[in-house]
Amino acid sequence: MIFDGEKEQRAIEADFDYIIVGSGAAGATAARVLADTDASIALVEEGPAVQTAEFVEALFPSMRRIFRDMTMLTTRGRAMMPIIQGSCLGGSTVVNSGISWRIPDDVWEPWRAQFGLGDALPLSQLHAHWDLIERELAVQATPRAVWGENNRLMDVACSKLHVSGFPTQRNVRACHGSARCLTGCPFGAKQSMLVSYVPYAEQRGATLFTSARVDRISIKGEHALGVRGHFHQPTLKTNIAPFTLRARKAVIVAASAIQTPLLLHRSGVRAAHLGQHFQAHPGCSLVGVFDQPVRSWFGATQGYEVDEHRGDGRFKVESIALPLETLCAALPGVGVQWLANIADAPHMAIWAVQLRAFAEGTVRNSFLGTEVRYDLTPRDMANLRRALRFTAELLFAAGAREIITGVHGMPERLHRPDDLKYFDSAPADPAAYTFILSHLFGTARMSVRAQDGVVGTNFCVHDMRNLYVVDSSLFPTNLGVNPQLPIMGVAMHAARQLAEREQH
Amino acid sequence: MLPRSTRIILHTLLPSQSHAVLPYGIDEIGFEHFYAELMRTATTRLKIVFRLAVWCALWISPLLIGRAPPLTRYEDATRARALAAMAQSRFYLVRQMLLVLKLVVGLCYGADPSVRAALNYPVATATPEGNPRT
Repeated sequence: MIFDGEKEQRAIEADFDYIIVGSGAAGATAARVLADTDASIALVEEGPAVQTAEFVEALFPSMRRIFRDMTMLTTRGRAMMPIIQGSCLGGSTVVNSGISWRIPDDVWEPWRAQFGLGDALPLSQLHAHWDLIERELAVQATPRAVWGENNRLMDVACSKLHVSGFPTQRNVRACHGSARCLTGCPFGAKQSMLVSYVPYAEQRGATLFTSARVDRISIKGEHALGVRGHFHQPTLKTNIAPFTLRARKAVIVAASAIQTPLLLHRSGVRAAHLGQHFQAHPGCSLVGVFDQPVRSWFGATQGYEVDEHRGDGRFKVESIALPLETLCAALPGVGVQWLANIADAPHMAIWAVQLRAFAEGTVRNSFLGTEVRYDLTPRDMANLRRALRFTAELLFAAGAREIITGVHGMPERLHRPDDLKYFDSAPADPAAYTFILSHLFGTARMSVRAQDGVVGTNFCVHDMRNLYVVDSSLFPTNLGVNPQLPIMGVAMHAARQLAEREQH
Repeated sequence: MLPRSTRIILHTLLPSQSHAVLPYGIDEIGFEHFYAELMRTATTRLKIVFRLAVWCALWISPLLIGRAPPLTRYEDATRARALAAMAQSRFYLVRQMLLVLKLVVGLCYGADPSVRAALNYPVATATPEGNPRT
């Protein structure tokens, strides 16, 4: 059953065993686990229910309909980085590229040794969860038939330079290579939560509330009683009708590393670490221009990646097919020069760096709305320069005739491998680069002791009895790899523990 | 309706009949309709930032090439030079304002069927009817 907030005109009050806030990777996975029990579940999503047949290729309508704040929320700091989040049924899994990585051992080890989370997040059990999820979501290497030229060229570069690169593992069934992952897969091939775990839970009795913004969690003493909120028109943010949902067993928050701490704070949860330790993976790209057509509109959106320096440089390189609208904005020039650059778009390959930044920021509510403060550190900038140089090296190895850098203070274009030296003296100021920010972590982190974090090792907010957090807010660090599968594995672990505790 | 000064700025950014492959400028891509839609449905933040970007182009960009504002006083070539100077400005916010202008124009230009056809891109559907499954 679904209550579509855009159509609801009446106030609703209802009781459920579990109320899950957020329908992205974490919330949908928790719903998938709990739906297999006898419990009644409400899955509450702030964004609208947009079905596969409604996805459109044009970016502007997609920004309005399925992205949070039309991607206009930016970090405050030396550089303003737009924060990319989905806001629709299925959350960011609808607008990502479906890239699936498990938490690498070298990332998990400090979680055990430094943060004491080895028992709370046991790697062996997480691997068992990932086995199941990978089977259910058809995770597989991008088949060569849908590489397209953009991904194939990265393979060529890796072979020439003898570096570690491979077709991306993605949760996709029968990819058509439409390069439209970022605006919602129009074929339903990408196994986002919209087409996988949300319907799984709904078919087993979960009730969906969409276009339903949770204003606060009702808390009395150590107990979360339920949630209160409003059905609303998500684009215009106009309230339609209130709703009150009462929780017999627990409230589970899975609203993302930005919305989760804000909701907890609005609801009266106070912890020194709430909204602190915000971490992310800043992304920065280079454009390679080739003599032959690249036609990035065909092929898996992100079908190939290079992890050669994931450990020593804290970065990965990924191919990406950007919508033409975004590519236009990223190209240099004004007037005729800009048009000439746009005309070259069919010959362009865009390869992006995903940086595992050391930087930590903060998330809080201010009178201007959500405020995310975040500044890259000098070590991050050194890694970024190295990453961009490496990416440019790959592009030249693949045969790029020139590279558009997009870095203020550097030559606009590099024409030969000798020009790579410019990266060595590239600006150390983040403001010289154009970033996007995705993969968000850490703002309600898990800790053994209450004074070190927000969430205990049983996923319950410290000093509370039935208020749980199961999304990437609880991660003690960022990952350096794409977080969907890690988030799902952790959420599955949390939900199973919760279900087992309730049964006993 | 698109204010005259905004139209002049965007026309400088994206002139008509000036490129062999892409002869389409701001006048040919239905920007007027897009602008109305933008003002009706975009977030307040985007609308404010776009207006700031227009203001910056109008009053700040001429100063970057040693001319007195507003930008609308000058002929095409000078206007183009002033806008291009925004990209090279040492002030981050000025550079960002040009990016905002290009982003908003790009949202319309990159989705335009004529532009996409000229580049052999698949036509971008703005309605679900164009989707493969419907």
